[in-house]
Amino acid sequence: MIPKELGGYSNLFTEYTELRVQENRSVRITVVNGDVMGNSSASSSGVSARTYSNGVWGFASDPEIKDENIRKVIAFATRNARFLDSRENRVGNPLPVTLGNGAWDYSTSKARKSQKDIIDFVREIDSRILQKFKEISSRTVSLGLLDMEKSLLTSDGASAYSMIPKSIMVIALSTERDGQSIELYDIYGGFGQFEDVFTAPDSLFEQMDRHYDHLRRKAEGIYPDAGIKECILDADLAGILAHEAIGHTTEADGVRGGSIAADYLNKEVASPLITMVDFAHSAFGELCPVPVFIDDEGTEAEDVVIIDRGVLKRFMHNKETSILFDDEPTGNARAFRFNDEPLIRMRNTAILPGKSKLEDMIASVQDGYYLMRPSNGQADSTSEFMFGIIQGYEIRNGKLGRALRDTTISGVAFDMLKTVTAVSDEMKWTSAGMCGKKQPIPVSMGGPAIRCRVNIGGR
Amino acid sequence: MSSRKDVTNYCIDTMLKAGIQKAQCTLSDKSRDEFNVDSGEISLLRTTNDTSLHMMGIVDDKRGSISINKTDTESLDRAVKEVLDLAESSEADSANDISEMQPSKVFQKGSTEPNLNLMYNRITAFLEYSRKAYPSLMLEQAILDFVSKKSYFRNSNGVYFESSRGIYNFFPMFTSKDGADISSFNYSGFSSGNLDRELHEYGSIDTLMRQSTEQISTKEISGKFTGEIIITPDCMNEFISHITMFLSDYPLISGTSIYKDSLNELIADPQLTLHSRPVSDEISDGYFFTPDGYEALNSTIIEKGVLKTFLLGLYGANKTGKPKAVNCGDAYVIDAGKHSFEEMVSSVKKGILMCRFSGGNPSDNGDFSGVCKNSYYIENGEILYPVRETMISGNLDKALRNIRRISKERINFGSEILPWVQVGDITISGK
Repeated sequence: MIPKELGGYSNLFTEYTELRVQENRSVRITVVNGDVMGNSSASSSGVSARTYSNGVWGFASDPEIKDENIRKVIAFATRNARFLDSRENRVGNPLPVTLGNGAWDYSTSKARKSQKDIIDFVREIDSRILQKFKEISSRTVSLGLLDMEKSLLTSDGASAYSMIPKSIMVIALSTERDGQSIELYDIYGGFGQFEDVFTAPDSLFEQMDRHYDHLRRKAEGIYPDAGIKECILDADLAGILAHEAIGHTTEADGVRGGSIAADYLNKEVASPLITMVDFAHSAFGELCPVPVFIDDEGTEAEDVVIIDRGVLKRFMHNKETSILFDDEPTGNARAFRFNDEPLIRMRNTAILPGKSKLEDMIASVQDGYYLMRPSNGQADSTSEFMFGIIQGYEIRNGKLGRALRDTTISGVAFDMLKTVTAVSDEMKWTSAGMCGKKQPIPVSMGGPAIRCRVNIGGR
Repeated sequence: MSSRKDVTNYCIDTMLKAGIQKAQCTLSDKSRDEFNVDSGEISLLRTTNDTSLHMMGIVDDKRGSISINKTDTESLDRAVKEVLDLAESSEADSANDISEMQPSKVFQKGSTEPNLNLMYNRITAFLEYSRKAYPSLMLEQAILDFVSKKSYFRNSNGVYFESSRGIYNFFPMFTSKDGADISSFNYSGFSSGNLDRELHEYGSIDTLMRQSTEQISTKEISGKFTGEIIITPDCMNEFISHITMFLSDYPLISGTSIYKDSLNELIADPQLTLHSRPVSDEISDGYFFTPDGYEALNSTIIEKGVLKTFLLGLYGANKTGKPKAVNCGDAYVIDAGKHSFEEMVSSVKKGILMCRFSGGNPSDNGDFSGVCKNSYYIENGEILYPVRETMISGNLDKALRNIRRISKERINFGSEILPWVQVGDITISGK
């Protein structure tokens, strides 16, 4: 537990200052072919302060959350800001004042499970794979739990406390064909502590059965024909496209750094079927997988409509970029560990659902692919992207055919989104990954299925 | 406790008293001073201190481990209890063990304190240089830091190591823009024990900045063909990580590594010799002991194409019955080849100078594919133009066997020393 109230230190702030106390707690269990290969827990806590002086920042942190250390950290951050200020001699704009205030604690109300209970749960999953799935040559069950608990006080008067958990299990299954290993992994879980997310092993069985079935089909699968094809990107791919290829180009620090989106504001960048939003904490009346209510600059987080019916409308901001772009701070300034400074980060980025039915979209494709699961994705400032594809099927004459082996899709997102001709009416979130940008950070991404033309790599 | 050495003693003693039969503890204190540049301007001076204490205990062949960042007695006692709980809740595995007795050693490298004024002057000069030399280049972010780290390792077999290291690191990320045309972003970096040169003179930074300005205007290549790629030292880093991933604990234990039966077998063209040299003078970075408690030694992983060692730790070696590595990888050095870079380019009939690869990890069978970023088309021995939307695909095992040439020239990044490597029979596809 960390202190929830930091008000006693406000008299030490001489410049604009953020004071944050934070603890990240994690558990990792990995069972490989029945052996417990990893069984560890970790906690990392401490205090940090960030101070702004005439356009430059100072930051300092310490792992000890004691009164003298907190005082020292505030003094050191101020010293660092003044060091830069004295050399840079800039005339900085005052930052906008934001007064976010509140507390959000998503700790489970159920009795906490012991580590043995959790390992037994993982082993039960592993045992079922061994007993039921006969063609498996290698299996790995990996569980990762993360609680992020933070308290914030700013010199504006903003004050916030939050405890945001996530619980993710990754199951990787391999089978062999012609002396080659074929792997497919699937992701289970999401927002919440273990007790709320993984209520019983049998709650995963249905998804596990589908996972095994997809692997068996993949083992008999083919490599797609290379070239630009009509494809249906399922929700996981639409989500990663929204995050990696569009989202990063519309973070205002990236826009300042040369992103292609700088020239596209208020221009048509996608089909009118595409609306894309970075949700702060809630969407469609439900809590998002990575809820952010008040960011680490004390700004109340709001949804950012990035693309509205095909037109690029807004970038994501922290306090500093909001001045430069003549906008408001949007609550996207987030830090991962206690000793990280807040950066502009996405939260829950999604393409909004449309009106088409997935079955109708598949039926409409004569010669193409239904791409279901990405492995990883990369994109750059031009919005050119590359996503690995680990699960998918060919579509021939409106029907799903053979499964695909691992392949890649690529393209320029702002070009590709103009080819979208249908958006499904279902929405799915995924929150397993950590976004990397100097620091890692939990994010979620989501979307419906979209029909578009995309370059597929073949073999 | 009066010293950090005492903290490690306390951890081992308390674990043994609690009933843990084999105990291991690593304590690290790290401080970092970091100048940040955002959008071409110095934006932040960041000073961080952190502690990392990792304890591992084995009871009846069952293992548990914990990491915390506190060293007060109350936190240590609580952590020991949790290690015991974790171990007792785990499953017995005879592969769990700690390193055997070795002579105690104290290691030191680099300075312990940063020169903040020198760091500020160097980064200011770098900003000035990049503005003047490359007006179209936009420095999205740059980080110059000094990291000082003191580490202490102890286990219940009597092993004790202590190391103290200080190193400067620089990482610039940039793109170039002319009107509405922009290049893909690119980045590079280096590690060094000192800052005795201007920042752009280290590693390949100046070359990549120049190339970035050339890459504002790119061309598509058409069709699909089998050709050669010349992988630059910056890009080679990624391919080495894929090779060494297949030599590490997880794929060898799970049996999915393509090299699981290849020890002392030819896996690459005989021109390739790859070392891991964490304690070499030519590497500014590196490390002195492994996380599982062995003094790190330099090793040759691939010698004239023959796989000489896996990168198995103690657990992985016990689990697979294969030999343990004498280090845990990194600090990679590839021996210089016989050909100049110019000779290599002039030998390529049709191919790509691959400067950055945007792709995922290879499949279990070694297949890989991805996009060539910041890269150039080569035809009839000439580098013609920067490309866009160009993909390559191949198989890692076959690519190593299809190495055609390795350059005489190498880049020392401080953390690795790598040449240009020419590989044949790669599928290259344009739009």
